[in-house]
Amino acid sequence: MTTTIATIPWTDDDRTAVRTHADDLHAITAALRSEWIKLTSLRANAVILALTAFISAVIAGGLAATASASDPALPASELFIYPLPLVAMLAAVAGILMFTSEAQHGTLAVILAARPARWVLVTAKTVTAAGVGLALGIAGMAAGFAGAAIGGAELGGGSHLVTRALWASLYIVLAALIGLGVGMIVRHTAAAITGLLMWSFVVESLFAPLLPDAVLHLLPFSAGYRLLDAGSQFEAPVVIAHQLARPAYAAIFAGYALVSLAVGTVLLYRRDTN
Amino acid sequence: MITVTGLTKHYGDRTAVDDLTFTVADGRVTGFVGPNGAGKSTTMRMMVGLTQPDAGEVRFGGVPYTNLRNPARLVGTVLDPRCMHPGHTARNHLRAMAALSDIPAARVDEVLGEVGLDSAADQRTGGFSLGMRQRLALAGALLGNPQVLILDEPSNGLDPDGIRWLRNHLTDFARTGGSVFVSSHLIGELAMFADDLVVVGGGKLLAAETVDAIAARQSATVVAETTQHAELATVLAGPGVCVDTDGDRLVIRGATKAAVSQLAFEHGIRLVGLSETAPSLEDTLLDMTGASAEFVSA
Repeated sequence: MTTTIATIPWTDDDRTAVRTHADDLHAITAALRSEWIKLTSLRANAVILALTAFISAVIAGGLAATASASDPALPASELFIYPLPLVAMLAAVAGILMFTSEAQHGTLAVILAARPARWVLVTAKTVTAAGVGLALGIAGMAAGFAGAAIGGAELGGGSHLVTRALWASLYIVLAALIGLGVGMIVRHTAAAITGLLMWSFVVESLFAPLLPDAVLHLLPFSAGYRLLDAGSQFEAPVVIAHQLARPAYAAIFAGYALVSLAVGTVLLYRRDTN
Repeated sequence: MITVTGLTKHYGDRTAVDDLTFTVADGRVTGFVGPNGAGKSTTMRMMVGLTQPDAGEVRFGGVPYTNLRNPARLVGTVLDPRCMHPGHTARNHLRAMAALSDIPAARVDEVLGEVGLDSAADQRTGGFSLGMRQRLALAGALLGNPQVLILDEPSNGLDPDGIRWLRNHLTDFARTGGSVFVSSHLIGELAMFADDLVVVGGGKLLAAETVDAIAARQSATVVAETTQHAELATVLAGPGVCVDTDGDRLVIRGATKAAVSQLAFEHGIRLVGLSETAPSLEDTLLDMTGASAEFVSA
């Protein structure tokens, strides 16, 4: 090993300057650059993106190819929505990993030692998770549309396509943010992923029929599911007799994202970091 | 200068760090020693804002760490060499750290070269040995060209060449005005390059002095071989002198070899052998921390 002269000569003022609110705002862009480097240099993220596209194409293409003569054939403009609940789970897992992998590998300590203002980290991770959710949503929808078309489905009318895609994107983005929030609260990858999947696929599905509509409206993934629109044949797994308007369900699902991120942030301030 | 004042941390009923007060001077290497469970790592984590103290404060040049605009420009830390994602390459790990602290990306290759990891820059850290991780963690600490280094057991896993480089690097760093605060369980290693020592045991401060002052706390041990045990013990008896029997030998503390020889001659006591052993710094520190050690070997 050798000793070299550093090329960055700081002044004493640079070193001992006290941070201000403006410094923290500037630090967010630095934290975002750092998140981008981590995001683009990890193979796991590329694998999740590829898996999302593959699953979406296979599901939508499979549905198109297996449509029987007795069923009215669905167009690709509706079928591309069908894989999105699974894409939402992948987005939630990506959100979870964004925090738990840092906590479990100890890099969270490195980050917080470099940027002690916790909210800077939370803001950067929230923006990044939203970006990841959007990227997965777009990849899932594009691959689903292509898969359905390759599977033989008609392309379908484009009148609702953009609105449908925008609501679906919001659904996936919020799922990624809920994942990030849950990851910040639980801090353990396996526990967070298991908990989220159990809640979504077991707790909500098993116990939903026992609950009154007023409570059903408030179940997170049931509410999130209702942001999806794929025509009259597309039904949510949890049946609600009198549904609210889509923006109301968006507000409920966003509320879960907000609360989980807020709780995660409070815990980040209160807990010691190992 | 780092000023630690009244630092205290409780975990339930256990006091991990108890009212710790000391300073780390500029231009000096300060060793931080104590047995396992003495509170060294907790103290270091409190110094950089990762663990919240229940009382007390730490200031770097008068500023609390968490209030610094860009801590990496003032303080480089290595608290755990395992703190890296196994899927990242060494270069990408440092690129992400550099971006986070607004450090020019060119600095990444500089520090990789500095710690001798340039040839492994594009390898994923999951395949790194402990020594390579330690070097990468050191590279991360040096990234911001800081004035202060806080290092928790930085020589763990390093090969002899690495340990020597680390020793020389830390000494050079201090000679150019930097402050080094380094913990190690290798007391002999620390004694070779530390200027000052902060000694803790059971979370309490046992000493904060120069290495020389601590080494001088314990006098040399004189071993006298004689058949006239009782007579020699009698003539040696006096304030500050402690005499123990070890088989045919008397082990004497608090008197010099010359004094023992003179007294034996004056009283006609025949000595078969006489030797003097200076205590090592390790012995001195083990004596100091012995009573507070949480985990003691059988």
